[in-house]
Formats: sequence, structure tokens, C-alpha cells
Amino acid sequence: MSVVTTLRERWRSRSRRWRAPRTLKATRVGRTYLVLTVGIGLGALNTGNNLLYLVLGFLLSIIVLSGVLSEWAIRDVRVRRLLPEGVYAGERFPLRYEVTRTDGRAFALKLGEGTGAIDGWAWVPYVTEGQPLVVRADATASRRGPVRLSTIEVSTYFPFGLFEKTRTLEVDDLLIVWPRRGFTCDPPAADGGRHVGDLGTSRQRDGGGDLLGLRELDPGEDARRIHWAKSASTGRLLKVEREREDRQQYTLSIDPTATLGDELDRECEETAALTHRLLADGHEVGLRSRGRAIRPSAGPGHERRLLTALAWVGYDDDAPERARP
Amino acid sequence: MNVVERRRLRLRLRDLAALSAFTAVGLSGSVPVWVSVLFVLAFAISMFDRRPLARQRAWAVVALLAVAVVLFGLAFKGALDLVVAAVSFAALVTAHRLVSEPSAATDQQALLASLLLIAGAAALSGEIWFAACLLAFGVFSCLHLGLSVVEGPVDRNEDLPMGPVFRQVSLGVGLALAGGVAFFVLFPRLSWNLASRRATPGLLGQSATGMSDRVRLGGGGDLKTRARIVLRARLQPDPKQDELDRYWVGRRFDVFDGREWHGSGVPVAASDFVHLTANDRRDTEQEIEVLPAYGARTLVALEHPVMFTRARATSASGTTATQLVHVPGEEVRFAAEAISYTYVAYSRPGTWMRDDEGERTRALALPTIDPRVAALAKTIVGTETDPLRRAHLVERWLKTSLSYSLELEGEVADPLTEFLFVRKSGHCEHFATALAVLLRTLDVPARITVGFFGGKRVDDRYLIRAGDAHAWVEAWVDDRGWVTLDATPESGRGSQPVALLAMLADLGDRIEEAWRSRVVDYSFIDQVQFVRNLVRPPERAEREGTSTTRAPVSVPWRGLASAGVGLVAYLVVRRFQRRERLHPAATFLARLEGQLAQLQVPRREGEPLEELTRRLTGERHPLAPPLEQATRRYLEARFGARPLPEAEQRRLLEALRAPAQLVR
Repeated sequence: MSVVTTLRERWRSRSRRWRAPRTLKATRVGRTYLVLTVGIGLGALNTGNNLLYLVLGFLLSIIVLSGVLSEWAIRDVRVRRLLPEGVYAGERFPLRYEVTRTDGRAFALKLGEGTGAIDGWAWVPYVTEGQPLVVRADATASRRGPVRLSTIEVSTYFPFGLFEKTRTLEVDDLLIVWPRRGFTCDPPAADGGRHVGDLGTSRQRDGGGDLLGLRELDPGEDARRIHWAKSASTGRLLKVEREREDRQQYTLSIDPTATLGDELDRECEETAALTHRLLADGHEVGLRSRGRAIRPSAGPGHERRLLTALAWVGYDDDAPERARP
Repeated sequence: MNVVERRRLRLRLRDLAALSAFTAVGLSGSVPVWVSVLFVLAFAISMFDRRPLARQRAWAVVALLAVAVVLFGLAFKGALDLVVAAVSFAALVTAHRLVSEPSAATDQQALLASLLLIAGAAALSGEIWFAACLLAFGVFSCLHLGLSVVEGPVDRNEDLPMGPVFRQVSLGVGLALAGGVAFFVLFPRLSWNLASRRATPGLLGQSATGMSDRVRLGGGGDLKTRARIVLRARLQPDPKQDELDRYWVGRRFDVFDGREWHGSGVPVAASDFVHLTANDRRDTEQEIEVLPAYGARTLVALEHPVMFTRARATSASGTTATQLVHVPGEEVRFAAEAISYTYVAYSRPGTWMRDDEGERTRALALPTIDPRVAALAKTIVGTETDPLRRAHLVERWLKTSLSYSLELEGEVADPLTEFLFVRKSGHCEHFATALAVLLRTLDVPARITVGFFGGKRVDDRYLIRAGDAHAWVEAWVDDRGWVTLDATPESGRGSQPVALLAMLADLGDRIEEAWRSRVVDYSFIDQVQFVRNLVRPPERAEREGTSTTRAPVSVPWRGLASAGVGLVAYLVVRRFQRRERLHPAATFLARLEGQLAQLQVPRREGEPLEELTRRLTGERHPLAPPLEQATRRYLEARFGARPLPEAEQRRLLEALRAPAQLVR
């Protein structure tokens, strides 16, 4: 490869890098600094005092240098998100970023999301080439639903804190925001005749759950509950007592007439809260919403599945295939 | 460095930045003493980490407002300069912030108020120490700001590597200073001059010559050790000597009362110029700049001045033309009081022929003196009758028989008798007085002249220091006029600084001269010349036979420019070298493949490392496990941004050797 070609390639690569969008904003002290600079400049022009020109030159070169050094700081930075499976709306959650510097060092970086749906930022005091750093932002998602995170804003106040320069990196990710946790009303009726476990059993200790103990069989009791081995060893008829399981199956549904927005969000929040309460009570919970159904089941994994489904309610058309519950 | 140490360092840097800014103002001598005392007190308290105003916020603000009302009220009444009032208030605000509860906002306010102090100092003074204060302020404040920025909005109790931070910020400060200088050089000097003001002499620029309206004998000669520059003169025609060693006449005294000399001239009406005699083309023209350190209104010129003109006085309100007052037989002085002056003088070497009988008569008057003085004079001259020869005999006797000394302690009743017969040593005023009195006892009219002796060339001008102050004698000789006689031994005529101090003062002079000529007096014309010389180098102009008025670029500037170009070239080359440098993982791959070849691991033609590892794993080769680990780490390091330290590289390569020996 000739030198010219190499230089041209470098120039293209460099110009691509410089073309990335940047924004520059004066901080509070920066604004005061600018006012003072203008004042001193006017004083220098008015009086012709060379020392004022010297001070003015110093102040202006600080401004120029702030632009150059801040560009150096945010130029060779790569960031990727380390997202949780899902987060609750309105609650703080740890949003982690892995920051990698591809060349040199960077100081005083502030990482945040470009979208307004997530607020919170992470601070990177120092990152050097080849040593990835994971930092955490205490972020909050305001509303339920899938949030498409397409940009990360990398800002810096370096070197003097007079200006905040921001570079926007395009990094695509999808964050599932579960419905807000909150108040729940009374549970609805259980699915008709679809209870599971021993709810039909009248006695509390004649269930099919965990072992409670052995006792002598009373007359008229079910002989199927006799523990034959123990009975043979003791010479008496001993009955096994097991805890009765009260599990029921509930299939919750979302009002199909609720419109996308606050009404549907409230509906989903109530359903999510109810789901949590029922699952915590040991029931099995399913979900039916807008032509989609999840069969009743139990366990933390199932709860997350339901929450994710609730997060997608109303946004199903946007869901990528892999992200659909 | 932990968070507490970092916080303390930040506050120290802030305090030092504020102190640098206040020093710039304080040394101008304009700030009221009570403001200086308050500021220094606040700085000292802050250095001990005490914040007495942390809980007195409201009262402190009320007090500041009250002080502001007083200061600006004084300025409104005309009792205080407006800039001084503003600077004093900024100093008090800075002091208040130093002893308030530290926070990001407080620190920033302290630095912004300090910046106002720096701007005020630029308006109030033009001395070299302003540059040092500006430099210190820039460095300390930038380091403080850089550290604060890296620290972030929240204090975190984690260690931060300060080395890279300071390196980067220091680089920034250096570039900012260089950029400031570039801007200073190139920004067009356009001035509206609506309210221009000039600098005050400052604390370090106060009077250093002690030129007064009388010469009192007694005391030591500490003036001779002072190295401050008081006058600068450009001569035409240029004598082109490094050491001029000529007399610069200031004032003449002809009345002696036994203890002190004073003049007897009567001032005439002020005018724009003073002709002492008709000047002609042979006279030496002198463009003289009187610096604030001179501290007197007497004009000075090379011996013998014939005309003074084009006098301009620089005061706090600007530079204006001023008139001159002639006091015949004594001095020419500026009519207006000012900080510094410029004027043009013409002088004619040789003797001074002006014949005024009154002057001659006064130059013969004697007070009551010890009769041994007249007897001594007669003894010295013997039978010689020619007045000029008599004068030279007395001059030679004083030079050879008495010694020069600056260490004369205590007051004596008759300093002349003490000098001639007891101590037998003294400084130039003693020698001049003795010569004048001895000549008067011999009926030779004589008077003493005070001024300077010397003149050191720096660039194209001659500098006169306070230590060059000198006194000598003019004696009237018929047909010759006023003849200059100097009985002081040659070693005592010029300044007498200590050797090391002289060297430092010389260096300081050169720096100050460069500062004044290249910074304070930098003008639009200089800019035009600078740009012209950039576009059209002087060598080319010389080749074409055209003349240029620009002085050649001095060696230090050339060196500085070369160093700058070299630094830029080095940075560019290093940058490209870093781009071309191999990835650290690639060097590991090379070492790994070299070791595999050394161990004679069978490898197919063009087989990549990953495939080789897979094949050896499939064949259950003993080398497969360590090779698999090495390959995985290589891929992580090369493409996963997980660094592979040298120690781990060695360990991975070492792990390959043991199985290889098994295979053998």
C-alpha cells in the first residue's frame, strides 16, 4: 500500500471520527468565565493595555484548549451496556456500562442515555487504553414498556470544567421496563374447577404437600394414608399427615378496551401487582391479553415471564421476534 | 491519593491561585493596606484549614455589601480610583470565599474573583512581576480546575492516579500559555482609547535614586548597591560601546553650609523646551525614558546638556505633553508630577563655556571651615599657580591619598574635616565636596554636580541604574569654562553591587527590558514588522539590497522557535509510530508460534493457530491443554480488549515446555 493511500485512508478514518455529532454547552462557571473574557477583551480594546491583551490571550487559549482536550477525551471511547433482564418502572435500577478506551487515556466522562425515557448517569473519572472499566448509573425508567436504547451520550467537562462536550454513540439495545409495583385489589375468582392441589379436601392436614408427621389412624379415615412400614414396625396403624395445598389457578386478563397510555399502564400495574401477590401466596397465575395467552404456572421465572408480557402489552407490534414473550 | 488528600490538595491549589492573583495587585501598591491585611489573614486561616465564615454566611454577605458601599462611595467622591475600588472589593470577595465552607461553587467563585484581580493588576501595573503572578495564577488555577473536574460531582472514596491527571492538565496549561502568547502576538492592536489609564510604579517600583534638592554629607552609600534601572536612553549617533562610562548631569549645587549642599537658582517660566545654549549638528541626541524608580523631576542628560525638548509625562490618567522649568545654574525639571517621563535631550561633549559672573561668585563662597583645610590645599598645590593644574593636583591627591568606602556609620559634626583628617575614606559626595571646598580655598570657583556615571548597553539602548548615581565637581577655569573634575577613585564611580547580585540584577534587567520592549510596549507597528518578517525574511531583503529596520531575531528566540518546531515534529512522529505499533497480543502470537516451531510441533502449511489447537485437541496431543489456554488468552487479548500482561505471557509460554519434554 502506497504512502498516499495510507494517508488517504487515515484521513478518511479520521474525518469519519470527527464527523460524529458533538454538542458543546457552557457550564455555569463557564458562562461567567465567558462574560469575564468579553469584559477583559473590551477593556483591552478600549485601553490598548498590552497586559490586558496578554490576559485575554490566555483566557481565549484556555477556551480553545478546552475544546481540543475535551475532544481528545471523548474521541476514542467505546461503550456498551450491561442491561438487566427487566426493570420496574419508577424504581432505581443499576444500569451498567462497560467503557473501553481504544487509544490513550480519558478523564472525567459522564455516560447517560440519549433517550429521555431513562434518566441517570454514570461517572468515569479515569479510563486508560486496554483496560475496560464497568461503571454503574442509578437509572430510572419512567414508564412501562420496551424501551429502545439507541444512543449513549458520552460527555466530559475535562479539562477545566468550563464546557460540557457531548458525543453521541449509536449503541442499540432493548430494555424491558416492567409495570410499576404498587397497590393491588382483591384477587378475582379462581379459574372454575381448575384448582390444583388439595383444595377439595376438608381437613387441613390431609393434603398432598410437605410431610407433617404420623399419627394413629382413627376409625373411618382413609386407609390409603396408612404408612405400612411404620405401622408394621410399631404394631399400630399409623397414618401419614401431609400439609394441604391450597394452590389455585388464576388466569388474569387485561381489559381489551383499555387504550394505550395511562389507562393501560394502570391496568398492567394492577395486574402485575396481583400476579406478584398470587404467586407469593403459592397460586399459579396465567395471563391472557389481546390474543396472547400464558398458561398458569408458578415460580420466580414465571413471574418474570408474566412481567415481561405485561411490559409488552400495547407494544406488541414493535416487538422483535426474539424479544417477544 | 485518597479523597481527603485530594480535597486538601485542591484547596491548597485554589488558595495559591488566589494568593498569586492578589500578589499581582498588591505589588502595584494601589490596594489599601487594610484590604491587604484582611486578604493575607484570610489566606493564612485557609492554609490552616479553618473556615470561620462557614456558618456566618448572612453576616459575611452584609459586611461585604457594606464594604462595597464604602469603597464605591469613595470612588464616586473621587477619593479612590474606580479600578482600585473594584479590585479591593474583588480581593475581599476572594478572601471571604477562602474562609467559607469549601464547595465546588465556592472554589469557582474564588477563582473567578481572582481572575478579576489579575485583570485589575494588568490595569494597575506593568512590571515584570505581573508576568510571574499571571503564570503562577494560570498554573495553580488550571491544576485546581482539572483536579476538580476529574474528581467529579460527587466525592468518591476511591484512589485516583494523580500522575496522568497532572500530566494531562500540565500539558493543557503549557499549551494554554503558548496559545496565549500566540494570541498576544497576533491579535491586532486596535484601541478605542475611550478611558485609557497607565500603570502606577508599584511597590517594587518606588523611588530608588534619592535625587533631591540638597546633598547632605554623612551616612553610608547604600544607594550604590541598588541595581534598579532608572533611566533608558537611545543615543544618536550611537557610540556602540557596551560600557558608556560617561557623566549624566542631573543637578548642580553651589551653596555649601559646612554640612550640606543646595542650589541657589531661581526658576523661570515653564516652556515646551529649554535651550541652554545654541545646539548644532554635532550634538548627541538622546531619547530618554525616565522610569518610575527614578522618583524625581530633574531631567538628566549626557555632559554637557544644551537643550531639552519633547517632554511627555505618564500619569494614572494617561500620557500627555508636559512643560519644562529651567532653574539656571541648577537644573531643568518637569513642570508636572507624574509616574514616568520621556524627553529628548541634546548634549555636547567637552567643556561648558557659559560665563555667568553670579555663578562664579557663588562658586567661591565658603562657610566657616577648619583652617587645616585651606592649609592642606596650599600644601597640595605648592607653588603651582595655574588654576587648571592646581585643580588637577588636588584631584589627584584626593584620589591617591584617600580611599573609597560606602561603610560610614554615624553622624559627625564636621563631615568634611572628618573625611580629610580622621576617617580618610568616604564616598563620591565626600570626594566631590572635599575637592570643591579645597579648590574654593585656592580661589578656584567650583561646584558639585550630581547625576549618574556609566551606562550599560542592552539591545540598542543604554541603561542607567540607581547604583550609578554619582557626584563630581565642575571648576571654572578662565578660557576653558567649567571643567569636569572627579576626585572619586575610578572603582567608586559606577554602581557597586555584590558580584552575585550584580549578575542576577543584570539578568533581571535583560528580562525586564525584554518584557517592557516586547510585551508592555508591543504595538501595531511591531505586529506589522513581525508579519512582514514572516512573509519576507530579512536574509532575502538583504540579498536584494534593501534595508530593514528590524533587528535580527535574537539567539534565544531562534532557540525557542527551533525547540518548538522540534517538539511538534517529535509529537507527530510519535503519534504515527504509535499508530504503526503492533498490538501487544500480536507480539505474544509471534512468540507463541516461535516456541511451537522450536518445539517442533507438526504444523500444516498455512494452518492458523486456532485450527492447530483444535487438531491437537482432537488428537489428544499432550500440548493441547496449555496450547488451548494460550490460544484462548491470545484471542481475548487481541479481540476482547482483555490485556495480556507480560508475566502471564511468560507463564503461558512456560506451560508449553513441560509437555513438550514429555513428548520427546
